[in-house]
Amino acid sequence: MGVHNSINTGKPITVTIDGKECKSTFGKTILEIARENDIYIPTMCYLTKVQPIGSCRMCVVNVEGVDGMILSCQEKAVDGAVITTNNNALFKERQNIMRLYDVNHPLECGVCDKSGECDLQNKTMEFNVDSQHFTARDQHRPVENWGYVSYDPALCIMCEKCVRVSTEITGDEALKVKFGGYGSTIINVKKERNYASLGEAAAVCPVGALVQTHFKYTANAWELEKIPSACPHCGGGCQMYYEVKQEKIYRVTNEFEFTNLCGAGRFGYDYANEGVTKDVQAFEAAVEAFKKADSVIFAPQISNEEALILQKLKEKLGFKLVCHEAHAYQKFMEAYAKVSGKHLYGGNLKDLSESQGIIILGTRINNDSPTLKYHINMASKWQQARVAYMHPIEDSEIQHIVTQFIKYEAGSEEGAVALLAHTLLSDTEVPDSIRQVLDDLDIGNLSAESNIGEEEFEALRRSLLKRHGFSLVVGEDLYAHPRAEQIATWVALLERYAGFNVICVPPAGNAMGVSLVCDLDDTVEGKTVGYNAKGDFTLSALGGGDLDMPALNQQEGTLTTVDKRVVPMHVALPYGGYVLNDIANALGLRAAYTIDYTVQLPENTGFKAIVFDDLPEYFDTVGNEHRGYLLEEKKRDTQLNIEEVGELDTFDGAVIYRCNPENQFSPFTAKSPLLSEEAVLTGSQQFAAVTKLKEGEKIRFEVDGVTFTRVFRIDTAMKGTIALNPTFDMGLSASLLSSYRFSRLSFEKSNNDKIGNNDE
Amino acid sequence: MSRVVFSTWRGEFVDNRGKPSDEWEESGFKLPETYDGDTKSKAFIGWDGVAIFNEDIDAVELASKYAAQYQEYSEACGRCAPGRWGGRILYDLLDKIARGEGTHDDVAHLKEVSETMMVTSKCEIGKTVPKPILDLMEHYKEQFDTCIEAQQPSKHYDGDTSYIAKVTAPCTDMCPAHVDIPAYIEGVRDMIFTDSLAATRQTMPLAHTCGRVCPHPCEDACRRMNLDEPISIMELKRIGADYETDHALPWQHPFEVQPPRNDGKKVAIIGAGPAGLTAAYYLGIQGIHVDIFEELPVNGGEVAVGVPEYRMPVEKYNKDIQLVLDLPTVHIHNNHRVDAERLKEIDAEYDATLLAFGTRLSKKVRATNENPNMKGYWGAIAMLDKVNLWTKYGIGSPASNELKDKVVVCVGGGFTSMDVVRCSIREGAKKVIMLYRRDEKTIIRNTTYEEYHEAVEEGVEFIFHSAIEEIFDDGEKITKLKVNRFELVPDPNGGRPQLQKIEGADFEIECDYLIPAVSQAADLQLLPEEWNIELTSWNTILTNGRDFMSSRPGLFAAGDCEYGPMTIVNAVGQARRAASVISRFIYDGKVSLTDEEIMEDHLNKLKVYDKSEKITGWMPGLPRAVSEKLSVDERKDNNKEVNLGFTGEEAIAEAERCMRCYYISMVAV
Repeated sequence: MGVHNSINTGKPITVTIDGKECKSTFGKTILEIARENDIYIPTMCYLTKVQPIGSCRMCVVNVEGVDGMILSCQEKAVDGAVITTNNNALFKERQNIMRLYDVNHPLECGVCDKSGECDLQNKTMEFNVDSQHFTARDQHRPVENWGYVSYDPALCIMCEKCVRVSTEITGDEALKVKFGGYGSTIINVKKERNYASLGEAAAVCPVGALVQTHFKYTANAWELEKIPSACPHCGGGCQMYYEVKQEKIYRVTNEFEFTNLCGAGRFGYDYANEGVTKDVQAFEAAVEAFKKADSVIFAPQISNEEALILQKLKEKLGFKLVCHEAHAYQKFMEAYAKVSGKHLYGGNLKDLSESQGIIILGTRINNDSPTLKYHINMASKWQQARVAYMHPIEDSEIQHIVTQFIKYEAGSEEGAVALLAHTLLSDTEVPDSIRQVLDDLDIGNLSAESNIGEEEFEALRRSLLKRHGFSLVVGEDLYAHPRAEQIATWVALLERYAGFNVICVPPAGNAMGVSLVCDLDDTVEGKTVGYNAKGDFTLSALGGGDLDMPALNQQEGTLTTVDKRVVPMHVALPYGGYVLNDIANALGLRAAYTIDYTVQLPENTGFKAIVFDDLPEYFDTVGNEHRGYLLEEKKRDTQLNIEEVGELDTFDGAVIYRCNPENQFSPFTAKSPLLSEEAVLTGSQQFAAVTKLKEGEKIRFEVDGVTFTRVFRIDTAMKGTIALNPTFDMGLSASLLSSYRFSRLSFEKSNNDKIGNNDE
Repeated sequence: MSRVVFSTWRGEFVDNRGKPSDEWEESGFKLPETYDGDTKSKAFIGWDGVAIFNEDIDAVELASKYAAQYQEYSEACGRCAPGRWGGRILYDLLDKIARGEGTHDDVAHLKEVSETMMVTSKCEIGKTVPKPILDLMEHYKEQFDTCIEAQQPSKHYDGDTSYIAKVTAPCTDMCPAHVDIPAYIEGVRDMIFTDSLAATRQTMPLAHTCGRVCPHPCEDACRRMNLDEPISIMELKRIGADYETDHALPWQHPFEVQPPRNDGKKVAIIGAGPAGLTAAYYLGIQGIHVDIFEELPVNGGEVAVGVPEYRMPVEKYNKDIQLVLDLPTVHIHNNHRVDAERLKEIDAEYDATLLAFGTRLSKKVRATNENPNMKGYWGAIAMLDKVNLWTKYGIGSPASNELKDKVVVCVGGGFTSMDVVRCSIREGAKKVIMLYRRDEKTIIRNTTYEEYHEAVEEGVEFIFHSAIEEIFDDGEKITKLKVNRFELVPDPNGGRPQLQKIEGADFEIECDYLIPAVSQAADLQLLPEEWNIELTSWNTILTNGRDFMSSRPGLFAAGDCEYGPMTIVNAVGQARRAASVISRFIYDGKVSLTDEEIMEDHLNKLKVYDKSEKITGWMPGLPRAVSEKLSVDERKDNNKEVNLGFTGEEAIAEAERCMRCYYISMVAV
């Protein structure tokens, strides 16, 4: 028995498939190499984005010198292998497998949702199975409604793709295989949670077994027009199709073979501003309002092009331009660039999913960015990544992903990140000035203030020992922090000197795009125009403003994604009213269509001068993404100037944390009827004790001048004295919130009795 | 070797039908002619053929029941299209024929579906189930034809024949604890690590431990070896255990923990080592009251105080221990030495007692002037106790007080001696020498390649073919050793080569410590003399190796005190069986095995792994994954765990090499 030091992954190899010489690398499967070379091998259970499943056995091939049939989806090609993908014997076995799949498969294609895009239909035709060749006793298996999705076991072919997605991709781990031979079935072990992420599992179902419940029996696949687009909700910009018939969106699908879409993207599509016509009077009033405006405030649910229009209007008319979340992010990234020397963070999603060590800091990631959570889950499953979750609030939803929870006091982020840098840079070469700062840190004090034990960092350091591929994911808690720029500096040090793949998760919407397009101001003053935000004159895509605007699924334009990509959106539903471009034209700008601005997006922040209609949108056969383009990284002057850690301003007593429930990001997701989360203040038993609040009690409190009236609910899975306060239901007020995400809670009972005040 | 009417087992063809009994040809395999006690088997059918012991066999029903068992047992399966549907069709069609409703078309379909299953199924179970069925259809064709043509049920259809089946795998069979290895590997492949762990814990509660320090006999029975290299079975085991620990998950028990029975029945276990813990786990999980009596203040037995931290971090072992001790009906009594008087009390008070106290006496090296009381003479067990109690628990004092800058000579060749020399290096010894009677190849076979290689890297000097003739002392302490050298001389008669002393090759070693680690013996003082407990020739407690009851009813023994110094996994396997027997004994006073256990023993005797089998349907040449280890400089002066374990990528790649060699076998009685 030989002993190998490595498994030779990555070594160049040459194999011959059906007479064609194919060059590739060791580690790839026969099927992957075949697909790289456009050679077809039939499959039923193969799903590119997960590990090989190997349940269908359709992909068997012959390899010269090897007896028997080889499973091409799983078996790695070895150098020199000569492979045949099709011959009579292989055809016969594949045909028999299809005959087996067809045993007792209900003949209900006429009403089945999958008909027309069903792998079973297609392969049954391809292998000439025109009658039931084998028989077996049928079994009674009732349909199950799991909420967002429904499961019909009689239609299920047990390919297990859905289980793999639930395990490897979304990480909800709700779907499992219940073993039992012929009686095997898929079960949902977390039915009570009704995970919207199961939409992603339904997307990969090759037959009609797992379907979106709301779509069932509503349309045939071939009647629907697929409109490619990008999801505007969380800032992930995930690929999606609106499937439309007669000016109605029936469902959202995606290129599930290669990419992912969360529950909000899949079910939160029904937010268009419908039935709007051109109201000339309102339009003229809007033009006047702009002329008189001292400030324009807007929500980040906006395309890059619209942001550019606002920027150009600002330059022309001289008003202040305000978008709080985007501005905080912009300032954070500017400070970041001073250390990293680049205007964008260095990380990307692919590297994140391949990391062996991940640190999450300053974001409730499961709520803030599903796509990030999915990629962290992939790393957890594929790499057994160590995942350290640093946050003031534990999150039981990601317990199975996280290997170390490091709790710090709300407000102590600067101390926490300095301690983190101190730990991770301890064995790294850094400039003397930085070493000096690190050496000068008062570890004991920081540790006490942030409430993170030194042994926790030691455990973290130990757990990353000998590993490689590290990612750091930071988020919105940091951007509006009073010490945001200093925090950015520390984070950037980890990218620059500790080799971390850093992702600074943009706030929801297109905040990243806005931050790269607009010259933003701090605060509003004087007369205001609000765009999807409350102003003296309000433009609203939610309806009910002074002038209606189209929602993002009614517009053409581009979004900027967390993966640093500029991606196109297309019109899913028509819009009859005026658009921002019309106002801009009335104010002296000149463009026939909003998308005429695509080519003008600023090149100095990485945009490219590409015309909208020239933006590609596809994935190639092996899954490489060709969607829009990647932002170009721009060099920035560095200024290694680290301030001492400021006095830590932490919070005692009851605190609230601005945080939306899973699947909710904005008034637009709130408007989508399929996503029906309740907007309540959620806290632990301990929070209830501190505030003397009872389950179901209603309170009123204020954040940044916005008044919240909330019912309080106890979540027994939560701990500590910080409650989650959502904002998605706050309509046009949501974008007025600008402060640090944590705040002390000072409230009144909604009947105006002042019963609790934290300052007391 | 077995008297059969007919056999196609493993490629043989024996057909004694119609022959006079003195002309019968025997099968070459140890087939289960008798099932249990006096019960005769009618037939044995399995992955590699069929053997008929009774001329009156109903071959059609046998085939149909075998297919039915596949349905029943495919609980672990049904995960590929050919197996899932094919298996069902096999059964439906065979039963149709057996009922007397079949047609010749059904036979054709059976053959066709069998062919597809045999070449495309995911696991060996799907690939092999059709084989004996096809054999029966061919060689007992007339029985099938009769059913079809006369449209009548098979000759004993629905009669009183019992069919007892068991699923196994070559690795599972070879593992003394019979761990469902393909299942835990599949859990890794599926990335459902909790399933992986639960699969391990069905028969092996010490997943952290046996995922780290098991000498993995299973890997010598891995069919993948016939193709390229065996799967790294052992290391894949720790992944599930580490997952549970890393994510602070609740205990992943393989079965639901039963509420305490509170029926007055209770079992005593002497010793909280691997055997004691294992028995406690499988008794406790059934809700049976267990008291463990442990002499030491710490739990875990020899793995705790013998196996060093760098191989088996105690933090991880403690998880395995806590899994057991957290069971509501398991109670531990530390610092509780059991002597003969106490054992008599326990024996009287408890419904059954399991002795699991191991072998904790270091044997002598048998040299002239060997005086265990001389300073510098330090038995391996005592030395490792000292090292481990200090490094793991802070009890006692560091062994470096004794060993720093000293010359240490160890005599051994097994795992214990490896632990001695590598610990001596870590305690700062100036020079560490291992004397071994045999050669390098043998020491690797007795331990592992990694263990030997790592010891060499750390600076241990191995002197092979050597033995101590005489020990010198100055009246106070050992000063030097006289060592003989040997060579292997081939036996002219073709027997095993003999070790012969090389004259004039003797040499001396000046040393401070001599640590004998040649073997260990059981300390049998606790056995009351008047019980006259029967012992083996090597002074361990005698049982029949199947039910683990000693010569005294109600007194059981498992692990090293039964077998002699052996592996953790051996102790686990024995203790699990003993626990099963005890769980029935305390109620009916009888010693019995379950069908599952009887089949387990039959298969073990038959040997499941066939090293000459040709593997088809898998791509050869995919190398075995090797996990990263700490470099010599990073490890030799500390107790950090040397083996870093697989990365996720390596683990999945390794799991994908597993061929899932599940086999189903069945006896007709």
